[in-house]
Amino acid sequence: MAEGTNYGLYCLGLAFVFGIMRIINLAHGEFLVLGGYVAYWLLVKFGLNPLLAIPVAAGAAGATAFLSYRVFLQRIRTSSELNTLILTFGLGIFLTNLFLQLWTADIRSIGVDWMERPLTVSGIYFSLGEVIAISISLATVLGLHWFLKRTRTGMAIRVTAIDRDSAALAGINVERVDLIAFSVGGLLAGVGGPLLGMLAHISPGAGVAITVKAFILTVLAGVGSIPGLLVAGIILGVGEAMTVTFVSASYRELFGFLLFLLILLVRPSGLFGRRV
Amino acid sequence: MAGAVVMGVVLIIPFILSFNPYYVSIFISALILGGVSIAWNLLAGGCGQVSFGHAAFFGIGAYASAILVTKGACSPYLGIVAGGICGALGSLIIGLPAFRLRGPYFALAILGFAEVAKLLTLNMTWLTEGSAGILNIPPLPALHLGGLTLDFHISRTTNYYVAAALVMAIYLTVYFMKRSNLGLAMSAVHGDEETAAGIGINVVGAKAFALVVSAFCTAVMGGFYAHYVRFLSPDTAFEGSWSVMPIVASLFGGMRTLIGPMLGALVIIGVDEFVAKQFFEMGHKLFFGLLLATVIVWAPAGLMGDRVRMSVKGRKR
Repeated sequence: MAEGTNYGLYCLGLAFVFGIMRIINLAHGEFLVLGGYVAYWLLVKFGLNPLLAIPVAAGAAGATAFLSYRVFLQRIRTSSELNTLILTFGLGIFLTNLFLQLWTADIRSIGVDWMERPLTVSGIYFSLGEVIAISISLATVLGLHWFLKRTRTGMAIRVTAIDRDSAALAGINVERVDLIAFSVGGLLAGVGGPLLGMLAHISPGAGVAITVKAFILTVLAGVGSIPGLLVAGIILGVGEAMTVTFVSASYRELFGFLLFLLILLVRPSGLFGRRV
Repeated sequence: MAGAVVMGVVLIIPFILSFNPYYVSIFISALILGGVSIAWNLLAGGCGQVSFGHAAFFGIGAYASAILVTKGACSPYLGIVAGGICGALGSLIIGLPAFRLRGPYFALAILGFAEVAKLLTLNMTWLTEGSAGILNIPPLPALHLGGLTLDFHISRTTNYYVAAALVMAIYLTVYFMKRSNLGLAMSAVHGDEETAAGIGINVVGAKAFALVVSAFCTAVMGGFYAHYVRFLSPDTAFEGSWSVMPIVASLFGGMRTLIGPMLGALVIIGVDEFVAKQFFEMGHKLFFGLLLATVIVWAPAGLMGDRVRMSVKGRKR
């Protein structure tokens, strides 16, 4: 279940960008992994506590997203969704191989001792690390919620998502809003990176699996519902755990994919979403 | 005709390379990719259905052929054809439900299918040996033509020409399909599905036909691959590259033409081998990602295209 909330966090960025801009960012996983590598590098080079590295990692991911949007995405926004998909696909591949080149294929872990310390919460064992991860996930979701509801930029983003033309008429710089929204998506992804590195491990190829899971969750939860994401994440997490227990460990990933295909074909608007 | 020129070049490449096995093998890879790319483009450029998971059909074809030959004592030639059929069947399993989905969702559904296929292959160890892979797959048996013996075990060049023959067969298949009424139907579906349905075209039928042929051809190349490299594992047969590279090759070469994807494959494999690998030993594929991103933003028509209309639905948002 703890894994489930983490999944929710990992996919937040993708769902956000998709819900607001209708862009499926296939490089989302790579932004996340980038955050992880940044935190890793900071730990190894400067001994920086990974938790403190989170803002830096998020910043790096957000900056990469910003650049990607500014240089590439902005220009094909008027073209079909499919072209954008292919573009982010290409960017993802570029990043994956860049990581491969810079950090080799070795699996990296951001190992910190205090993560392992056990805590008991109403009779269930957690590790301190898991508790921190859940807290950060929740904090990020709340933070995003506050940003969207209380800040001017957040409100501008929401208005643009609902009706671009009216937003433009109201004086909102729509192109800038898009740029900010996409960068925020990258930022959100970057938050998950260090966590992934601490709880599990990161490798160049990890991004793809993350993106796919994130997309599964987005579709499962439905467009436009952020709490739905957490629920969906928990469903996925529990489902995977059960698959491991009852079927076999190697079929774990299969659960997610089959669920994904099932949802796409049966109920594309997801469990909680507005109708697509 | 551009197609004839490119195929002519393909035929004389081994001579240019003085039959150097290393270089020939690089171009065999290009041919395998080219065949898959042309097949992919039938579905994407011809019918408007972009697939992100052609690796599924490639891997199914490869494994089907390998299993039939190693466990069923079947001839590799038959195995390759059988592999093609298996790939085609697989495509129907995912395709028929998936055709209900709009563009990007279709692409992702096929991607999901590719991953499922890979996982299933990994886990069905009783059939596929799982992650250990299938070793020592027999090569194509030698052909005796008159007094001439074509051996495929030692010689790279003979394999090259088989690959070239397969690519030509695929090219001709696609060519005749596009020229037929079915091809017209596909173009109509590509342009605007609703309108096509409105004028009485069997949209699902057209898409299904394109998919089946595309998958069959891809799976056949997969079968050839199995008997050429003679080793399969779920990771190599269903590698993401087999899904990505056809897209890059087709986009770069030009999706509006039939031979564009083959040309694209030749160029990008060539550049990858001779340029990218020198600078980026491990991450050389980043070149493909960057190429994909750059081409789709700045030159969606690719090398051969003369019109910029790239978007699958042809509509500006």
